[in-house]
Amino acid sequence: FATFMGSVLAASSPPPPGSGVVQGAPGLVSVPPGFSMPPVPPPSVPGQPAVEIGSPLPNPGTYEECHRKCKEVFPIQMEGVRLVVNKGLSNHFQVSHTVTLSTLAESGYRFGATYVGTQQTGPAESFPVMVGDMDNTGSLNAQVIHQLTSAVRSKIAIQTQQHKFVNWQCDMEYRGDDFTSAVTLGNPDVLLGSGIIVAHYLQSISPALALGGELVYHRRPGEEGAVTSLMGRYTGNNYVATLTLGGAGAHATYYHRANDQLQLGVEFEGSMRTQETAVSFGYQLDLPKANLLFKGSVDSNWVVGAVLEKKLLPLPLSLALGAFLNQKKNKFQCGFNVTVG
Amino acid sequence: MAGIEELSPAAGPVETRPPEGEIDEDEDEELDETIMERLWGLTEMFPDTLRSAAEVTASGSVTVAKKLYSFSRTALWVGTTSFMILVLPVVFETERLQLEQQQLQQQRQILLGPNAGMSGGMPGLMPPAPVKM
Repeated sequence: FATFMGSVLAASSPPPPGSGVVQGAPGLVSVPPGFSMPPVPPPSVPGQPAVEIGSPLPNPGTYEECHRKCKEVFPIQMEGVRLVVNKGLSNHFQVSHTVTLSTLAESGYRFGATYVGTQQTGPAESFPVMVGDMDNTGSLNAQVIHQLTSAVRSKIAIQTQQHKFVNWQCDMEYRGDDFTSAVTLGNPDVLLGSGIIVAHYLQSISPALALGGELVYHRRPGEEGAVTSLMGRYTGNNYVATLTLGGAGAHATYYHRANDQLQLGVEFEGSMRTQETAVSFGYQLDLPKANLLFKGSVDSNWVVGAVLEKKLLPLPLSLALGAFLNQKKNKFQCGFNVTVG
Repeated sequence: MAGIEELSPAAGPVETRPPEGEIDEDEDEELDETIMERLWGLTEMFPDTLRSAAEVTASGSVTVAKKLYSFSRTALWVGTTSFMILVLPVVFETERLQLEQQQLQQQRQILLGPNAGMSGGMPGLMPPAPVKM
């Protein structure tokens, strides 16, 4: 079951905005893929010039994953009660039932299914991966991820709200030896002549440094526009620093692994549009002996929050308690999740 | 012409003030009411700069005391709730873990201790296998 979950995580790219597609993933799974330590360069033979040019650079991973390592340290805001039951029907197929009871949003039931195919590309990755879930109101989220050739991976995602299609996108990613490029076509509408095209490129400059860029071109009948941004990521011994600068603002994250129990993250975000900046500090404490995972965060908007996840062995049960408090506005939100299986 | 005769110097001393007893009563009544005013009036002997400086210091320190009080109230509340959310659950869980481990150790000692004592007298016996928790 653990390898099954590992392959689902390895294969799935980040979920489409505003959806909670890959819900079955428990919080205590190991480091996500894409984070690779730089390789040791081969020793230079005496009498030859330095081997820098010839030494292989690692593939830098995808563009979206660069900020993800730091973001995962932060707790998510929980509200209301949620019960998730995951059941693996076979090695390739998994089903999940989610019941949500909440005071602020609507309560509902969501059914999700995940299918992992038979084409295995790596120890933990199998393709194609099909993930779908449907709400009790009829809203559907679906994703299909497939590895077309050894270097090209493609994904199609659809999101509907009841019967109306809200999001439909297709993306193609090419992984070279030391670079990754991806093109995403979002909500293309041939009849209206509208759509969004996003192009990403990320190149390894040195074993520790990766630079990349993003170009977003959006078009609606009557207006069109483009936004570009540049990104740099530096990986150290036990830290990762990432900076994104663009027309939409600046975003910088720093992730630090203090020891095998404590991970820290600092995030700075500044937006051109709303002329606001925010700094947040988060930490994650891992105590496998106590079956405990604790995430806490403090924000410059005077928001304090924490999530406590505890595995209730010997049952395959896990309990997550979350609390978020906005000191300035004096607003408090808490919730808990129970995950079975 | 009787009025002119009264006014002549030969008529005797002229009564211009009330008698002594009446003066004392009046001044006593005035004394009780105006003691604060009399004390305040004493401060008028200090120079103006000193008086204004003292006034500014006094009102300033009252304001500072009020602000400090309200700041310490807010700081105490913010500190307590943030500590409660960020640190307390971890403290509870680590203490619980420590207690559990202590308990396990104690149980192990209790189970193996007396057994070791009992089988000490019989040299041929094998020592008891450790109990799996």
